[in-house]
Amino acid sequence: MSVRDVISPFTAWKNVFRETVSIKDPINSRPGAPRYRGFHQNDMEKCIGCGTCEVICQNAAIDMVPVDGQEARDGDSGLRPRIDYGRCCWCALCVDVCMTGSLTMSNEYQWVDSDPDVFRFIPGAEKKSWDDAELGYRRPDDHHIKPAARVSMGEMEPQVRIGNFDEIVDGYSIEQAVLEADRCVECGLCVATCPTHMAIPDYIRAVREGDYEQGLRLLYDSNPFSQTCGRVCTHKCETACAAAHDGDPIAIRWLKRHITDQVPIEKYTEIIGKPAEPTGRKVAVVGAGPAGLTAAYDLARKGHEVHVFEAQAGPGGMIRYGIPEYRLPYDVIDNEVGVIEAQGVKINYNCRVGTEITMAQLRDDHDAVLLTIGLHLGRSTRIPGSDHPMVMKAVDLLRDITEGKALEVPRTAVVIGGGNVAMDIARSIARLQQQKFGKVGMTVTALEDFDHFLADPEEVKESFEEGIEIIDARGPREIMLEKDGRVSGLKTWKVLSIFDEDGRFSPQYDDGDEWIHFGEMVIEAIGQMSDVSVLGEELTEALEWNRGRIRVDQAGRTSEPWLWSGGDCVNGPDVVHAVADGHRAAASIDAYIMAKQEEA
Amino acid sequence: MSEKKPLSEGQAGNRQLLKSKKSLAEILDVAAEFERTARDFYADLVPRVSKQLRYLVEELVAEEQGHYDLVTELRARPDLAQQISTMVETPVSDRRFSDSVHLPRLGDNPDDQAVLQFALGREQKAIDQYSALAETSPPGPIRELFVFLANEETQHKIELEKIYYEIVHSGGV
Repeated sequence: MSVRDVISPFTAWKNVFRETVSIKDPINSRPGAPRYRGFHQNDMEKCIGCGTCEVICQNAAIDMVPVDGQEARDGDSGLRPRIDYGRCCWCALCVDVCMTGSLTMSNEYQWVDSDPDVFRFIPGAEKKSWDDAELGYRRPDDHHIKPAARVSMGEMEPQVRIGNFDEIVDGYSIEQAVLEADRCVECGLCVATCPTHMAIPDYIRAVREGDYEQGLRLLYDSNPFSQTCGRVCTHKCETACAAAHDGDPIAIRWLKRHITDQVPIEKYTEIIGKPAEPTGRKVAVVGAGPAGLTAAYDLARKGHEVHVFEAQAGPGGMIRYGIPEYRLPYDVIDNEVGVIEAQGVKINYNCRVGTEITMAQLRDDHDAVLLTIGLHLGRSTRIPGSDHPMVMKAVDLLRDITEGKALEVPRTAVVIGGGNVAMDIARSIARLQQQKFGKVGMTVTALEDFDHFLADPEEVKESFEEGIEIIDARGPREIMLEKDGRVSGLKTWKVLSIFDEDGRFSPQYDDGDEWIHFGEMVIEAIGQMSDVSVLGEELTEALEWNRGRIRVDQAGRTSEPWLWSGGDCVNGPDVVHAVADGHRAAASIDAYIMAKQEEA
Repeated sequence: MSEKKPLSEGQAGNRQLLKSKKSLAEILDVAAEFERTARDFYADLVPRVSKQLRYLVEELVAEEQGHYDLVTELRARPDLAQQISTMVETPVSDRRFSDSVHLPRLGDNPDDQAVLQFALGREQKAIDQYSALAETSPPGPIRELFVFLANEETQHKIELEKIYYEIVHSGGV
């Protein structure tokens, strides 16, 4: 042993007088770094329960669970993420993928407890000390896991389309559709919002995978009007889409159309499959619109004999006789109905119930009857002069155009109304004006102001593009007539407000702000109603009614045990709602007649 | 349901209606008559309209019955007994209101829109009348009474307008 060996331990004593470099109490006095990924925070109001965090978590540390006080509604599942910190690896993928930015991580990382169960909790719902922590990890604003903008849809230029009734939109190419489908996070919030609960994330996945036959199969599981809904659906699903919180919603409607475009129509029936063996039961359907034909399709597939009675010369109901061809081509409707007919559905055209055949006859000849008669009658303002022959109703004119009748095309016209029907008739007559006179002379006057407009924004935008003048907040007062009796225009007053402070209809006008809108024709597009005269007096008396509409239960059954009803005439105008009504009625009718069969 | 026959042209009651001043009692009597004839008119209409519209006419019967009860109760209130003979200046609208006690025909089978337009027109007449009476009355309980009646009619007209928008504009299609 050397002297050095003996002395050297004492040299350590010099450190007694040095400043320490370690932290004396690291648990209590060392905060996390400003962007540290500590315990989660969740803004319960911003969170929509889409579950994207749950799906992306590689450790299965997140479960979506119900929370007291969080109700499910359109665009919000009502569920919230519960995090298990026994599994969480603090990677923050859940934060990066969060569609609303509600999920964040505080920089708090210290938590000591002897109960292991407390380390599994619902951030935001269970109060924690770090809930209001400002430091921690948030998804940077410019970080997007998916592209924020939707793939734009090609469409005909306004100056070209105004001269014809050709379909405006092109439809997606395969490359465009795959790019758009790639933006979907498959949260499924859209499924709950869709009235017929289409398997939206699944068919979008089929687009991504290029499996169009599977896509079509999925579409037809819930919607035999997929070609139609792929063009004119009100697409409420897109308002519920989680992607809308981080850019544009997924173009669900266009992707649906894309699938139907990719499969040759002659393969549809093969993919959908054959109907069941005949049951020997017969069902009558009044009206060949989406509700009636959806029910007919479902019932035919179950083996029942279905006879549809349609007053018009062609199928489709309101979608054929109320929607212009530039939005929904007639051959698309024919193709769609051809698939339904291939299941064995028989459609009797030009057969008006109440005239050619009565409801009593239908009841006597069939096991059940479904009434789906649409809203084919137009409402009138009944302002002075509205009974003039050149004051027309939009639904009548749209029907005439579909039927190819020769119309007296006015050089100038004024439309009263601000909904989609008003836009449809304005744009249709504008096309006829362009064809006949080489220019558009169309004015739309709407009661509502642009902030409360009823028509879809894209309809309004495209109408403007086509040279149609739209004037908001104008209340119709009188049809103006020339001395010789011809219509010269419409007098309106400025609408100061339509609704009172409680949101009730209470229009206030400024009679000092009076305008005359010049037009040789005035077209009323304010509302529609059903032609319930088909029922006859006896059945009208026998039925229960609900504020002017036939009363039905949740399955669409009326107070008469043999009669069901649905679609626009019961629930108002909307194609996809009509499809949903058709499914419900068909399921109820099937249960009814099969129970009858078992009893027999 | 009817307690009195409606006044008809040439009767003594009608000549009374044209006076420039009336007692509060007379005014309330005409108002009650206005409501009663309306109620009976709608009650008679119920079986004449198609079944799907009956709810609308039945609601109008109930509403007019409510108005009638209100006016007759006001007429009988003890705290108005001292005021009941007070003379009130009849406004310009009085003639129009009094004439409305006689109801025009609404046709044999009116539709919902015609019934609503008719009802809205009557509500407006009542609002105009009570508002004008309130303006010509001196401040005090009688003016407050007319303001109250005008507000009641206004509330009913707002309800009818809402129904009109829902039915006729059918959700803005």
